Parts: sequence; structure tokens; C-alpha cells
Amino acid sequence: MTKEYSVIGKSQVKVDALEKVLGTTKFAADYNLPDMLYGGVFRSTVAHATINSLKLEKAKALGGVEAVLDFHDIPGKNRFGIIIKDEPCLVDDKIRRYGDALAVVAARSPEILEAALALIEVDYNEIEPIFTFERALAADAPIIHGTTNIHQVKHLVCGDVDAAFERSDIIIENTYSTHRLSHMFIEPDAGIAYYDDEGLMTVVASTQNPHYDRNEVASLLGLPYNQVRVIQAATGGGFGGKLDISVQCHCALLTYHTRKPVKIVRSRSESTMVSSKRHPMIIKAKTGASRDGMLMALEVQMTGDTGAYASYGPAVITRAMAHCTGPYNIPNVRADATFVYTNNPMGGAFRGFGVPQVAVCHEGQMNQLARALSIDPIEIRIKNAHQIGSKLPTGQILENSVGFIETLEKARAKAEDVL
Amino acid sequence: MNKISISLNLNGTDRTILVYPNRRVVDLLREDFKLTSVKEGCSEGECGACTVIFNGDAVTTCCMLAGQADQSTIITLEGLAKDGELDLLQQCFLDEGAVQCGYCTPGMILAAKALLLKNQSPTEAQIKLAMSGNLCRCTGYQKIHAAVKSAVVIYKDKMAQGGESID
Ligand code: FES
Ligand code: FES
Repeated sequence: MTKEYSVIGKSQVKVDALEKVLGTTKFAADYNLPDMLYGGVFRSTVAHATINSLKLEKAKALGGVEAVLDFHDIPGKNRFGIIIKDEPCLVDDKIRRYGDALAVVAARSPEILEAALALIEVDYNEIEPIFTFERALAADAPIIHGTTNIHQVKHLVCGDVDAAFERSDIIIENTYSTHRLSHMFIEPDAGIAYYDDEGLMTVVASTQNPHYDRNEVASLLGLPYNQVRVIQAATGGGFGGKLDISVQCHCALLTYHTRKPVKIVRSRSESTMVSSKRHPMIIKAKTGASRDGMLMALEVQMTGDTGAYASYGPAVITRAMAHCTGPYNIPNVRADATFVYTNNPMGGAFRGFGVPQVAVCHEGQMNQLARALSIDPIEIRIKNAHQIGSKLPTGQILENSVGFIETLEKARAKAEDVL
Repeated sequence: MNKISISLNLNGTDRTILVYPNRRVVDLLREDFKLTSVKEGCSEGECGACTVIFNGDAVTTCCMLAGQADQSTIITLEGLAKDGELDLLQQCFLDEGAVQCGYCTPGMILAAKALLLKNQSPTEAQIKLAMSGNLCRCTGYQKIHAAVKSAVVIYKDKMAQGGESID
């Protein structure tokens, strides 16, 4: 007997769809206010360096330019970051990636803005840039943040892995690597800051994270939270890539100094250059199983590149660890994960937080095991599948809603249908 | 550089404007005419977010200079609904759930509209080809194609009953 619901099980028109098909929805770049200035960012063209000099005078002297600011102009804290505050709004100590923000400009037209940005001069003192995991861990490698390039290390141990490998009939060993990915949300980041009628610093932005943005803008400007308001404009896709700060702090800082509305719209290339990325990972896996295809042991070593700033790195490493067995019962597990800082683009949130990376590994292992044991690939998965009552290597018991076997059966039926 | 005078028919109204000849049509529409349904996603002709119907064809306005718009007819999404009544394609995009973030939607609807203006009973392959210049990062395209197909079917039914033509 199926119950009739008014909404569940029925196709619904999205609440905001009408405006979207009419073209009246306002995305961040569609906002315009009287007296509005156009903001832009002067960015580094090297990945690792200290700054000998940053010359802003010529840009400041250009007619129509209302503000040219560097880190000295930040009234509050010059560090943000969703979990670890390690990213500057404007570089103060050193450049850690290609595209780091060095200065911001507000001008009366986009043309003047472009001309002013071209007048800024910087002299770098370059440091060896670190682009690989191996180099990041070398004893003589320059340190990107603090005292070590190791961003996080995690371990997970469950059962007796060595003994289980001894008893295994077959062992499969492989190394998998996954690459850096860009979200490519179709709307490049954009936002506008202004003081509202009550004098509240207000930022309207393309964002997935307005509450977090509010806190960062307040901390940057040294304002209490109740003096800052962040409004999410209709947002043209994010997929995790709009959880970090993009234009919010730069807009707000320019408005703070000019007292005027300031809009920043990133170009596609600027957006792609500095937004977060999916963490590239290298995963070494050793899987032990019995002759009849029952998984017995798993040993995993994973390394990940969080790039220049932490962003959601600590969450990604944790999720990758917790999901390293995939949806399979493996009684004995040993997993070690190390994430490092490099001078690459920042790794961050991206649909799945590390889980898609480890999926490449556990599914690759299952396929190889199936082939080596001449067992049907779906059969071997069903044999080892999580069900209600399964215990994960983290100790969690799955108490309800484990639809894996059902999904596999349906996928098999569908495949038989089409193939 | 001197400004030039441009005259065009924009969403059914004759307009004349002074602009620099190197102004891109996307800026002309968004900034000068405040038609912000025209979106910018890539600025190099790849994503189709800036698509309008230009002299009957779907074109990307980020790759066009204002001078090219002189004496042209341009339709943006703002020009599609008539007297508050949705265009058939707009209705089908709603009904089929073809809209998620909505940033690609104006370009998608206009690309489809340009196709239907020329070919009232396109094949599936023709629909796919006509929409191939428009990227969507959210929907996975299935529902967008379903929306266009359903518009074609509904239109055929209407015509069979002696309805109005598509434009
Ligand atoms: S903005 Fe014109 S095609 Fe992408
Ligand atoms: S609905 Fe978001 S890009 Fe198409």
C-alpha cells in the first residue's frame, strides 16, 4: 500500500524557476547601485615569493581611481579560512600560489580599473615553488606555512591486518592517482558590497556560505557580527567551489575605505585560477581476500595535495579515511593519510569531500579481485556489501537505510536491459 | 576613439544608441540596455550563457562587437514572454524541471527558440546539435532536452488544431 503525499513522489516546479525562465532572477553581477565603483584584484604571477616592493603610487594617481589598497589598509584580521585561518585577504608575509591577491583597486569604470591594475608594479624575491607531494616532504624543501609542509596526518586501525593478510588466499596491490579538478560552476564568482540605509556593511555575493562569509568580513574589518550582513544572490552553481571566500572580503574592504558600493566580477580565468579544487590524491592499496571472494584485509596509504591553503583539507582527509573501504565489509583495516601544503592551487570542498578519490581505488581493487578469482564483478560486490548491522572500520554500526545491494541488483537488471 | 551610432530592433522595439565600436554586444545588452538575462560565463564563445537570437540565429554575444549589431534584430529572454504569458519553451522548461541554478537557462531557451523558429519539427539529433553550444553544469542536460522535445510535441498538437505559428 502506498500512501499519497501532497509533495513527496510528485513532480514539483521549483520555487524560483519562474523568474529564471523569465530572465528576471538577479545574480550577483546583475546588481548595480548608484555611485557604484568597479573593484579588481592585483595578483601575483609567481607561485612562491616574498615581496621586495609593491608600488601603488601610479595607480593611485590615475584619474577615476578611488582606492588602491594593500594589506596595510586592513583594519582587522588579515587571515581567513573555513577550518584553519591560513589565507590572507591581501598578502602580507609571502606569496604562496600563482594568483595570490596583493592589492585591490576600486575605480569609476571597468576601463579605468584595468588601466590602474596595469600601473601597479611588484618586485618579487622568488622562493623555490613546491608542486609535488615528494618535494614538499624533502628535508631541504622550503616551508610554505609555519614549521612543516605536512598539513594533516591521520591513521585508522581496525582488527589485525597483518594476521589477516597471512590468512588471505589472494592479495591485490595497486597505486591509484587522481587529479586536480575545477568545479567550473557556470557563473564566475561575483559580489557587491555597500553600506545599507542603517549603515550596515552589506555584501551580496554568489556564495554557498553566507554565514561563514559574514564572520570573515567582520573579522577582516574588525567589526562585530551584527554590523555585517551577507546576502546570497541567486548563485550560478557552486558544487563546493563557492564555500570559500572569493570576492566578499575584497569588496567589503574597498567599500569600507571608499564608503561607496563596490562590485567585483571575476573573469572566468581569474575564477578558475583562485577558486578551490578537488584534492589530487595518490592512493596505495593492498587488499587481501579468501578464495571465494570474501574481503579479509585492507591496507591503504593515501597522500593528498591541499595546495597553498587549507580550505576544507581537514574535512577531505577525514572523509577519505572514513570511506576507504567503500561500501564493503572489511574486518581488518589499516589506513594512513598525509596531506601536504604545496604552492599549487588550493584544494577544497568538491562534491564528496575525498570520497570520489577513494572510490577510484576501492572499485579498482574490486574489479581486479573479481577478475583474478573469476567471480562476477557484481557478485563479489554483493558478497561483501554493507547491510543493516554492518560495522565500519571507524566502529560505526549501520543501523538503517543501507540500499547498496538493492542498488546493485537494479544496476545489474538495467545493464542486462541495455547491453 | 569616437562613439558610433547603432540602430537595432531589440525585443520588438527600435532602439538607437551611441557606443564605442569596440564595445562587446554582451556589454551593450547588459550594461547599456540593462537586459541582464544575458549572462557571461566564459567570455570566449565556449559556454553559450550570453546567447541571444540575432537576425534569427543563436549567437554568443561575448564574441561580437557593437558595430555588428547595427541594423540587426535581437531577441533576449526578456523579449520572449508576451503580455505576461510565457513562451511555450519557457513553460516547458518550468514543467520539465529543466532549470536548476538558472545561469545557463536564458541561453538554453534562446538556442532552442532559434531552432524552432527555423524548424518546427526538429529531430532529436537536430535538437542536440542546436543546443550543443550551450553548457549546463547542473542539470546533466536530460531535462533540458526533455523540455525542448515536449515543446515540439505540444506545438505540433496546437498546429494540428489550427493554432498560431511559433513566433
Ligand atoms: S560568455 Fe559568451 S559563450 Fe560564454
Ligand atoms: S542550470 Fe546551472 S548551469 Fe544549467
